[in-house]
Amino acid sequence: MPARPASATPTLSRRRLLHVTALGTGVAVGGTALSSLLSATPALAGTSSADFVPADLDLHLLRRATYGPTPNLLNQIRSAGRDAWLDRQLAPASIDDSFCDELIAQRYPHLSWSIDQAWNNLEGDWSLMMDLGQAAIARAAWSKRQLFEVMADFWSNHLNVTNPFDGGWWCRHDYDKRVIRKHALGRFHDMLVASATHPAMMLYLNNAESTKDSPNENYGRELLELHTVGVDGGYSEEDMRRSTLVMTGFGMNWDNGHFVYEPTAHYTGQVQVMGWGAANNRAGKGYDVGLSYLAYLARHPATAQRIAVKLCQRFVADDPPQSLVDKLAATYLAQDTAIVPVLRKLFRSPEFAASIGQKIRRPMEDTVATLRILGVKPDLDGTNGIQGLYWMIQDLAHAPMAWSPPNGYPDEADAWRSAAGTLGRWNMHMSIAAHWWPDDLVRPPLRDLMPATDPKTHGDLVDALSKRLVFRTMSAAHRDAVLGFLGRSADDPVDRRSEALGWRLPYLVALILDSPYHEVR
Amino acid sequence: MTRSTTKHGPAGAAMKPCACPDLQSAMSRRSFLKRTAGAGLVAGIASQGMFTRLAFAGTPYDGDVLVILSLRGGMDGLNAIVPVADPDYPLWRPNVGIPVNHPGLYQLDSMFGMHPAMASLQPFWESGAFGVVQAVGMAQPNRSHFQAMEEMERAAPGTSVRTGWIDRVLGLREAGTSFQGVQMGSSLAASAFLGNSPELAMWSVDSFGLDAAGDDDDERARWDGALRALHTGAPDVLAAPTSTTLDALQTTASLRAAGYVPEHGAVYPSDSRLGDALQDVSRLIKADVGLQVAAIDYGDWDMHSDMGTVDGGWMVDHLTELSGAMAAFGTDLGPALNDVSLVSLTEFGRRVQENGSGGVDHGFGQSVLMLGGGLRGGQVHGAWPGLAEDDLVDGDVDGVNDYRWVLAEVLEKRCRASSVSTVFPGVGSERLGLANVKP
Repeated sequence: MPARPASATPTLSRRRLLHVTALGTGVAVGGTALSSLLSATPALAGTSSADFVPADLDLHLLRRATYGPTPNLLNQIRSAGRDAWLDRQLAPASIDDSFCDELIAQRYPHLSWSIDQAWNNLEGDWSLMMDLGQAAIARAAWSKRQLFEVMADFWSNHLNVTNPFDGGWWCRHDYDKRVIRKHALGRFHDMLVASATHPAMMLYLNNAESTKDSPNENYGRELLELHTVGVDGGYSEEDMRRSTLVMTGFGMNWDNGHFVYEPTAHYTGQVQVMGWGAANNRAGKGYDVGLSYLAYLARHPATAQRIAVKLCQRFVADDPPQSLVDKLAATYLAQDTAIVPVLRKLFRSPEFAASIGQKIRRPMEDTVATLRILGVKPDLDGTNGIQGLYWMIQDLAHAPMAWSPPNGYPDEADAWRSAAGTLGRWNMHMSIAAHWWPDDLVRPPLRDLMPATDPKTHGDLVDALSKRLVFRTMSAAHRDAVLGFLGRSADDPVDRRSEALGWRLPYLVALILDSPYHEVR
Repeated sequence: MTRSTTKHGPAGAAMKPCACPDLQSAMSRRSFLKRTAGAGLVAGIASQGMFTRLAFAGTPYDGDVLVILSLRGGMDGLNAIVPVADPDYPLWRPNVGIPVNHPGLYQLDSMFGMHPAMASLQPFWESGAFGVVQAVGMAQPNRSHFQAMEEMERAAPGTSVRTGWIDRVLGLREAGTSFQGVQMGSSLAASAFLGNSPELAMWSVDSFGLDAAGDDDDERARWDGALRALHTGAPDVLAAPTSTTLDALQTTASLRAAGYVPEHGAVYPSDSRLGDALQDVSRLIKADVGLQVAAIDYGDWDMHSDMGTVDGGWMVDHLTELSGAMAAFGTDLGPALNDVSLVSLTEFGRRVQENGSGGVDHGFGQSVLMLGGGLRGGQVHGAWPGLAEDDLVDGDVDGVNDYRWVLAEVLEKRCRASSVSTVFPGVGSERLGLANVKP
């Protein structure tokens, strides 16, 4: 066994590390030819995650705005330029996504069902919710509207309605369609209203049971704490109780499974929450009072800050620079809660450019990036393979939309570090690379990862595979570690019988994907 | 169990739709390690030996190993620890109730008899290692599986605390080994582990392995070396869990190689994930890998229909497996049971009155089972509110004995907990006298 290297465990705190990283990272100018990028000389191993990813803004944008770069995607952004590529991603309808659309339509046809169809046909069966979770993985892996899918996931977590959940069998898929996906690149105000008037949210946070006589504070509290102004948004417990009263009557029609505003459940009388108030003296007008309250919350400066922070944590860094947060919050308010201008500002900011290497892939992102870099395709027919991916990602504790508390999956690397999770990722890389499972997916031969001309030496082989999988060569020390794994030195020749090109190749691929070069986003 | 939801109206919790999905998988949830406090320490010691504890700055933990058995789905306590002397019991349950004069009932005290299917626990009752707490509840009745579990495992009602109580227990102590908190029998840790302290979730000791290396020691060493080397220079957030994982893999590989045979004539139930998990916990305890808290899920208690009778069926099967596994665990540990406290929890007990489908619906007050050498077994603890109609809460046993009192006392007397108010904010000082102070 190769000697264990002397411990180089960083002693800097993570926060400090990130500062060092931000200051110390040289950022390459985009537009570098692919060939020259990929022939970059190996860098020394450093102590920051930025040392593991190419200092290349095109790749940086791809790692953050998609579920994982591919050589094809890199060619696209190289030829189009970052701004044009981003503009297209921010206008997803302009992207032909027929492959993925047809895949979803064929494999998960019931996802197109209306609430009425599901209510009348499913009889409590959870199949539609399971379909929804699987379709989310398929879309992440194979949609060309990558940024849209990333944002759909973002909002699914921000306005979390756990999938599956008790009572969502007929409406959770519709929540995804008519609340999240419909408004994912629209206006937050519209999405908030859509969530507050959807049976899934009303059931999930118990507002459907909340009445003037017996208020249930679950939704009234989370509306403030999670959906809008945040726990430090400046509201009191009394505000929270009134928030609950304002929203009484927003509920659920048990005759047909739809949202309904029920005046008899609505509290009437003067209400005041933070800086908003209403006479609220007619139960029949309570719906409008609720909408007025939601409009206030959506445009509250604390909501703008909260959403800006969360977007930065998604796309920039776990501890995002306040300068950027402030700029995004201001844009959000100035643009009347429109999302696209905020994202455009974010991705074009110097803070974003300086954030290379500051995010770590979470388990689902890691799994999907693995599929994408290996060119894995869906099942030829049926859904066994995609279903297998769902279970695989669920075992990694990151099944889409499945986070059970209402606050959504954490988006900080610290929250995901665990031994079981680490081992799970290693086993996942191995299983996908070796095509052990889910073996119904279509995985191209791993030999296709090699350049047209076989490498001459094991050193060349490791370099070529690194470039293909993580878009750069490894540091000398890490390259040596991989060569040690192969039991070869760099100059040892490669021929057709070399095990590194034969039975050992899937293991070698998995090892490279286990490394920080792949884990850093 | 069907995945059906009724379309009944929302006229209160009793009518809430209960989809009751596969609770085992849907409800045991992931845990997130906010900060691997001990991981930096762990990195350097892998070569010191497989079972070596870390050298701590402070004192190593020497309290009881706490084993939490989560009976997911809502276990019916009334048909397990049967209130045979309560005149209302047979009236509420004319069909699914246990006949109060059934010869197989084991009389625990003047009120309660133990279901015949739990006979394997009788010796532990007699030796004082097995005990029961009746009518256990939480601050607010909650008849949703999902929310009740979450509230129970958060264990901080009326606060915005989002961590789990086991995490807060571990947080009271010096950082331990990667085996300090273990969820056994699942790849996902329960939400009680949610928070800063690291824990390990594994299906089993034998399956916690690197698939790429299989059982080949040379291959495992090859991967160990390469993975450590590839994470040299990596940020702590990647490097630390890599070390922890590889260390744990060394330990599980050694445990696998050593094999395991239960001692003292213990026979775990065959074909039982619960039995397997308890056996693995016993294995970790004896191997002295630094285990402090172990959690195991044993689900499928959601017996809305066809729960069976005293002579057989779903409930009998489940009680037999549960009792047999607990008894085997106690036997296997032998004298080591003096340093172990096992406590069962379920998200709620069942409705007192049987329903029309030969089952019982979601309720409130539950029965807690306890096994440990330092616990005051041979007794039914806790006030009993009775089953008269006026004594029920919305038709359920009143959970007058807060489950946090049970856990707090075990933590204080057995697990060296200095400050249970950190673990259970606002728990107060009420205790049930169910444990002896650990010397």
